[in-house]
Amino acid sequence: MDAQSYLPVQPGVGMEENFFSLDDILLSHERLPVRTECTFPRLGFLEKSSDSPDIPEGTKMELPVWLSKGLYERKRRVLSVELPKVYREGWRTVFTADPNVVDLHKMGPYYYGLGSQMLHFESPENPDIAQTLLQTFIGRFRRTMDSSQNAYNEDTSALVERLDCLEKTLFRSGQSGLNGFQSWEKGRASTLTASSLVLNYRKRKINDVQP
Amino acid sequence: MFCEKAVELIRELHRMSDGQLPAFNEDGLRQVLQEMEALYEQNQSDVNEAKAAGRSELIPSIKLRHCCLLRNQRCITAYLYDRLLRIRALRWEYGSVLPANVRFHMNAEELQWFGQYKKSLACFMRSLGAGEGLDITQDMKPPKSLYIEVRCLKDHGEFEIDDGTVILLKKNSQHFLPRWKCEQLIRQGVLEHVVS
Amino acid sequence: MSDSLSDDGSINQDDSQEDVMTPAELIAKLEEAWLNEKFSPELLENKSEVVECVMEQLTHMENNLQRVKKGDAKASVHRMEIDRIRFVLSSYLRSRLQKIEKFFPHVLEKEKSRGEGDPSLLSPEEFAFAKEYYANTETYLKAVALKRMPPNLQTVDLLKAVPEPCLDSFVFLRVKERQENILVEPETDDQREYVVDLEEGSQHLIRYRTIAPLVSSGAVQLI
Repeated sequence: MDAQSYLPVQPGVGMEENFFSLDDILLSHERLPVRTECTFPRLGFLEKSSDSPDIPEGTKMELPVWLSKGLYERKRRVLSVELPKVYREGWRTVFTADPNVVDLHKMGPYYYGLGSQMLHFESPENPDIAQTLLQTFIGRFRRTMDSSQNAYNEDTSALVERLDCLEKTLFRSGQSGLNGFQSWEKGRASTLTASSLVLNYRKRKINDVQP
Repeated sequence: MFCEKAVELIRELHRMSDGQLPAFNEDGLRQVLQEMEALYEQNQSDVNEAKAAGRSELIPSIKLRHCCLLRNQRCITAYLYDRLLRIRALRWEYGSVLPANVRFHMNAEELQWFGQYKKSLACFMRSLGAGEGLDITQDMKPPKSLYIEVRCLKDHGEFEIDDGTVILLKKNSQHFLPRWKCEQLIRQGVLEHVVS
Repeated sequence: MSDSLSDDGSINQDDSQEDVMTPAELIAKLEEAWLNEKFSPELLENKSEVVECVMEQLTHMENNLQRVKKGDAKASVHRMEIDRIRFVLSSYLRSRLQKIEKFFPHVLEKEKSRGEGDPSLLSPEEFAFAKEYYANTETYLKAVALKRMPPNLQTVDLLKAVPEPCLDSFVFLRVKERQENILVEPETDDQREYVVDLEEGSQHLIRYRTIAPLVSSGAVQLI
């Protein structure tokens, strides 16, 4: 309820990013394969494979999402963005066949977040990408929810390992609901406890003293 | 690539997702600000050249550097803002006096922010009702009983309860005390709520 | 206090005089406001009259308690009642303060653009708190970093940087007054919008945006 006092800025919903959200900043740091459509003078040092002082037109390189988004323009193309593999047709077929078998942590870990960001770049495949994201989420949601509601005092690491960041957050909130309910049933909900922040500080202090 | 240093600041906080406050990374901040200065100067000179000599082919690079400047600005302000949210949490978890090892991780401006936050909150709480106000940092959980059994986890000294009785909170001693008087001390880890 | 609590208040309630409210009705009003505030994603209109009355009531009950003899069984029942009311009141005020901090630029902007005569979102004390919070945060960002940045980057628009409340989040509610023809927007592209009737006493899970006006009018209760 009121217990947690540190309330970080939540990531944006869908294609939106929240300016102050740490999650969104890390998500937008993911790299995308791009191709330059013009020359970038005097920035050759960013592209280590060549000795040219410039980045010539037609260079294939990787740029973070935030930079690709910042440079991308519909009218005057300075770069074109390619789809990362997991969003291409081949992988989309795999996801559609059985979304539960894929390890979204390995493929992501921002599978949904990055996929939504890809929709900022014009592509005829966008409707299919959006559809796959949605269907994959729906296909996996049931399992994520069921397990978060039923695994009480169990080791869930093997399952959680394969979840995307968004799914992990959902799983955790499901677990905290389950745990809250269980402790209420046992009449423990009104037990006053030390702040976890305070306890963690104390742990760290001890670790500092004994490295 | 540019802006790597700035993301390092963000990662530093992201790793401590429970809300702990790591030491202020003044060195990291300074390095990002230096990168910004260099980007800005390069852009100034390219802009002048593009204007004077009509070299419009410089524009894509100018734009790229400008994106990096904005990104650095975002990372730094997000770093600072998230720290404020953590500092705010400290007021609610520890009360208005912070232990030295926590204060040690804050810079001068953060201590100032904390001081002002404390003042605003106190002022708000005092203004409630006509009398002496209401401390809303207490009563964090719904009450189930008036008195609770507590064990003392460390020596805390004398402690006055409502009716004026003074008791000695000595390590490992056990007491039966009014719940709302103990809440803060339990949160701080001085007392432990004993549930039979 | 105990006398007025047992009073069902039906005698005083026949006309629109709101100021004659029994303690029981007052506490019910507080609980209503508390649950709505806890579950709505945005800050609701302030209920400072309720807060003031409850504070008065608490003082009144405390004073009564002083007169009761020590060890009287009635005393601990009353003490418990005071603690419970104080918890609900504190929790209510905390929820509001938390939202004010979370959305401060937007809360202040809404207050600024409020038409004359429109009810205020914030109590005067909350307004003072929000303004101080804004100034304090802006000063801090400036002093630590922004003033050390290149000239064109020394400001951040807090209205854009701090996220707005997400009105599309879903809430549970119970209907207090029957509503007809509530327009529900489609979830996906292949759905169409449709209308529903909300029967009195029924419970629903629905997008907050759809029923926000009903929360402020008191026709539904968030649960």
